[in-house]
Amino acid sequence: MSTLGQLVYSGLLTGSVYALMSMGLTLIFGVLRIVNFAHGEFLMLAMYGAWAITAMLGLNPLYAIVVVVPAMFLFGVLVHRLIIRPGLDKPHIVLVFGTMGLSILMQNVALMMFSADLYDVPPLFGGRSIVIGPFYAKAELLIGFAIALASTFGLRFVLKTTYLGKAIRATVQDGEAAQLMGIPVPRIFLITFATGSALVGLAACVMMPLFSVFPTVGLNFVLIAFVIVVLGGMGSIEGALLGGICIGIVQSTSSYYVAPAYGQMFFFILFLLVMIFRPAGLLGRKGEATIGMND
Amino acid sequence: MRSPSPARYGPPSRWRVLPERGTVSIFELGLFAVALTMIAVDLPQTLQDVIIQTFLWAGLALAWNIAGGYAGMISFGHAAFFGLGAYTSTILSVHYGITPWVGMWAGALLAAGFGGALAMICARLRGPFFILSTLAAAEVIRMGALNWASLTGGAEGLSILPVVDATNMVFASKTAYAVLLLIYFVAVYVLTKLLEGSRYGLYLFAARDDEDAAGAAGINLLLARTSALCLSAFLTAIGGSLFAQYFQFLDPTHVLSPELSFQFALLPALGGIGTAIGPVLGAIILVPLSELLRGYLGSAAAGLHMAIYGGVLIVVMLYFPAGLAGALARLAVCRRKGTP
Repeated sequence: MSTLGQLVYSGLLTGSVYALMSMGLTLIFGVLRIVNFAHGEFLMLAMYGAWAITAMLGLNPLYAIVVVVPAMFLFGVLVHRLIIRPGLDKPHIVLVFGTMGLSILMQNVALMMFSADLYDVPPLFGGRSIVIGPFYAKAELLIGFAIALASTFGLRFVLKTTYLGKAIRATVQDGEAAQLMGIPVPRIFLITFATGSALVGLAACVMMPLFSVFPTVGLNFVLIAFVIVVLGGMGSIEGALLGGICIGIVQSTSSYYVAPAYGQMFFFILFLLVMIFRPAGLLGRKGEATIGMND
Repeated sequence: MRSPSPARYGPPSRWRVLPERGTVSIFELGLFAVALTMIAVDLPQTLQDVIIQTFLWAGLALAWNIAGGYAGMISFGHAAFFGLGAYTSTILSVHYGITPWVGMWAGALLAAGFGGALAMICARLRGPFFILSTLAAAEVIRMGALNWASLTGGAEGLSILPVVDATNMVFASKTAYAVLLLIYFVAVYVLTKLLEGSRYGLYLFAARDDEDAAGAAGINLLLARTSALCLSAFLTAIGGSLFAQYFQFLDPTHVLSPELSFQFALLPALGGIGTAIGPVLGAIILVPLSELLRGYLGSAAAGLHMAIYGGVLIVVMLYFPAGLAGALARLAVCRRKGTP
């Protein structure tokens, strides 16, 4: 029983870190209605950034947040200007392949700059575990959990109460009407894309002490992120948190009770089951999956 | 009102110079002649290898295009069909002694069944949701192949004994493989051309371009989409079996990876999605180019040719979404206007 408890607890913490990594993807999808296939490479770029700052200055990678998050925001602005905005009014395959091209480009530029070596940073607090009641967890995971919760509720607060948040929600509900009401929709798109990118930067700083970085690190994580956002309902922030935690628990329990190798297979099957029976996800809007996107 | 006679727009003869739907053009026949010459001429082994890969990829890109281009079902999971084909024929041959000449059809039928099932369970999904589901389905197959080691050899893969025996599809010379893969490529091309000019092809275009209107006009959308994915999967699996016989080795990383699935989609994307000549142009330009660049640049600039590839893909998609085939089509229009 305590084994199961410990597994669920670790799964919950790891899952919340996965959720943090998926939040940018779901936010961008919710507002711009596009899937950013270069999401994993954004994560890879930000992880290299966090690694470089940590290695150069010898600081705790969490301090890298101060630099990496704004830098990723600016990177998001750049990508939006060069690739996303020119492709928004074209058929949806343009941005499917456009972001795919960006992913290939970034992966291989990273390969040229850093080669295929693995880079990592020393664990926080000398790798000590923190004990709460009968359960153990890495300190990094607890910090990640706290940051994921804070981001979810922070984002929710911004979307529900501020003017910017209301403008974003209006754009999601009806872009044309929002434009007519004087909301600068193109700028909302820009801000959303850059914010999504900044969130990836935040996730990268949290993940750097937990995982190594290498040029194709994004592929593993982006597949998890796709599963999470579809499970939670594409475009739903709370859904991403819920989906991330589900995936984390499925992964930790199935790796222990069945076999580690089957863990990933389980969540892809879970993904397909969700697609068959509840295509809009756990918290998504009904009918979302059946309407053509950007056509 | 008089309808304009075709003679005013088309050249007087039946033969078109540049590819068009429903006819055979001089351009296509010329390409075929070049391909035949490439086989007939005695080339060094490395060049022959590039030619064989080009034929294989051209056939695979065409097969992807039937679902992704004509039926509008963009798939990032075609490695599943490719891998099913490669593994089925190889397992039948290695474990049960059934010749790949028979086994490849079994693999193709299995892949077609899987494709049909996938199309049916994803019938409601559109756009990114469909794409992500194909990606997930391919991952399930990859994990399955990795873990079912008694059958598939797991991560270590399966080897085909290099004992030359034509009845087991193992040949001594590369020329034999080149002929085999040219037959595959031409067969898929002819099938694509027939499909493009047929009533069934028009159903697919209608279902892709305006689903509601197509449904209202009485087209069975589910049947059209499912059969398109079945056909595409069937042809991809045949390519997988031929690939396995040529390399005489397969493992999940080589025949089932997501990167492979992306490659299936990227060749038609650069060449021109939804045309017959597009995927061919994509393959005959990109496959030799990336092989040669890899040879020249070597490990000194690992990743450079792929980085260029990614950059070109972005520019082509944003500014020339019709790809290389679009450029040819524009040329064809210019020619027609020039004809008095």
